[in-house]
Amino acid sequence: MKRIAYMSAILALLVFSGCSSKEPTIDATANGSVSGNGGANQMPTTQSSTGDNVAVIAPVTNANAADTSASTGASGADSAKAQGITSILFDYDKFDIRDDMQENLKINSGLVKNKTFKLEGNCDEFGSDEYNFALGLKRANAVKTALVNEGISADSISMTSLGEGNPICLEKTQECWAKNRRVDFKLP
Amino acid sequence: MRYWILFILSIITVWGTDTTLEVTKNVGALPKFVIEDGSVVSGLETKKFHKMLSADMKVVSLFEVDDTYAVQTFESSQPSLSHKEAGYILRYRLVNDGNGGFKAEVKLLQNSLELFTKTYLLKQSEMLVFLSHSIAYDINAKMGGAPLEWMKRKVLLVRLSGARRSEIVAADYTLAYQKVILSGGMYGFAKWANREQTDFYYTALSDFKPTIYKANLASGVKRSIVSSDGMAVCSDVSEDGSKLLLTLAPNGQPDIYLYDLMTNEKKRVTDYSGIDVNGQFMGSDTIAFVSNRFGNPNIFSKKIDSSAINQLVYEGKNNSSFTTYRHLLVYKTRDGDGFDLRLASLNNSGSRRLTSSGDNDYPRFSYDGEAVLHIKQEGSRSLVGIIRLGLNKSFTFPLHVGRIQSLDW
Repeated sequence: MKRIAYMSAILALLVFSGCSSKEPTIDATANGSVSGNGGANQMPTTQSSTGDNVAVIAPVTNANAADTSASTGASGADSAKAQGITSILFDYDKFDIRDDMQENLKINSGLVKNKTFKLEGNCDEFGSDEYNFALGLKRANAVKTALVNEGISADSISMTSLGEGNPICLEKTQECWAKNRRVDFKLP
Repeated sequence: MRYWILFILSIITVWGTDTTLEVTKNVGALPKFVIEDGSVVSGLETKKFHKMLSADMKVVSLFEVDDTYAVQTFESSQPSLSHKEAGYILRYRLVNDGNGGFKAEVKLLQNSLELFTKTYLLKQSEMLVFLSHSIAYDINAKMGGAPLEWMKRKVLLVRLSGARRSEIVAADYTLAYQKVILSGGMYGFAKWANREQTDFYYTALSDFKPTIYKANLASGVKRSIVSSDGMAVCSDVSEDGSKLLLTLAPNGQPDIYLYDLMTNEKKRVTDYSGIDVNGQFMGSDTIAFVSNRFGNPNIFSKKIDSSAINQLVYEGKNNSSFTTYRHLLVYKTRDGDGFDLRLASLNNSGSRRLTSSGDNDYPRFSYDGEAVLHIKQEGSRSLVGIIRLGLNKSFTFPLHVGRIQSLDW
């Protein structure tokens, strides 16, 4: 009978110690962060007095959000439109001048002759950030090359890409996306 | 006596076998974890904080998180009545400090034993979600979880706010907190300049020529780095912050350049007549980049000092978005009806799909390669997703940010 009781005790010890391993083992004093006092009296008066037991989460930034050097840049495109200059449209993921845009380009070249102007390449909302900007720039460059072939001085043309950041149509339709794949002329 | 020894040895052997089985079973059975509000005055703010902590502790992935809200006296060593089954209790006491911030006292209990206590001081109440992230980070560290430093880091994004208008925004990893740090013009491609996230690069598109600036987050002081007619983008920053991969287009031709900040010298790395953009470091001597040299945008790699080009991705026809961490690559590719993210390595062939629903874009590795942040579109819902590569788990949070132009982490 004694043997049975002894064996039972050993078995119980083994079983209970086995059960405890089912939860992650925690060393309550391992990192010294345990405090029996809560922490109400541990609040430091300055950030420099913080220890492992107190964390200060500072503001992300105090910088002024307004960029005073930025310009709107929209008036130049309006000016070009007023003079009858039209935008050159492009196919999806393409930067070659379409046949139906050749006539518009010829008319535009006559209107911008002897003027300094900027070509702004634009894209639809497809494609990722940098690729879209590069696509917009390649479109502007294709228009520049065509204008130079029409006798416009390359030195009078500057270029930029606005990617998908200057849409003229916001609906999610094929017609709308087609309008956004374009190069605008911008006069000073 | 020898029979006794044999008997005990046989019990230990059998028990040891069972233990192994138990450990295997425990992989799927996580301890139950609850969060309790111990604030003196509980209300909307403290309940909101409970939700934030619940979400973060789910991302921690060490517990089975029961996100039911309950109140219990902060000092009590016992769980609330509805949390009797909990293995772990995280209890907080949130106090408005009267100066636009919060003080939070936190403790973690297991079987009435305090495993962890800490006090947090938050300077700005609108940054409450960062407080939650810090607590989750500390609990994870205390419990020996996988590295989670990325949880406390800031995300930098550019969002389009109108035609020819965009804003640079600093956010937390869930994009719940958003603070505009630059507005008033058109900007693009905001990127952290260093590991400490004290400075960042961005492109000003309102200038006469696109110009890359470096700005200080705390002071807002900026200085011009480089301008280029047509296009100027800081695509990547080397791990030590001393070199940049830029896309410049001095003659209307976008190519990738290596820019040394110590010498201010730039070196052209690609010279294809089509589109080469988005250079990303893969170690110290190799870059990956997007090119349309085979007709569609795809991802290639090359040694900085070599002209040989390697195609990295063979799936899909529009692979224009990717992120790298040393030899690893996560890229967007069309899979069926949507765009998925896949993980590949320079050292192995093949790839692993990381997402299974919606359209996924803007993948960004955390600085330590532990996680990938991305944007997911599911029908009309926008989400920000986090993939923990080591745990093979992903999480999403609702997103209200408008149209994103670029994202960095």
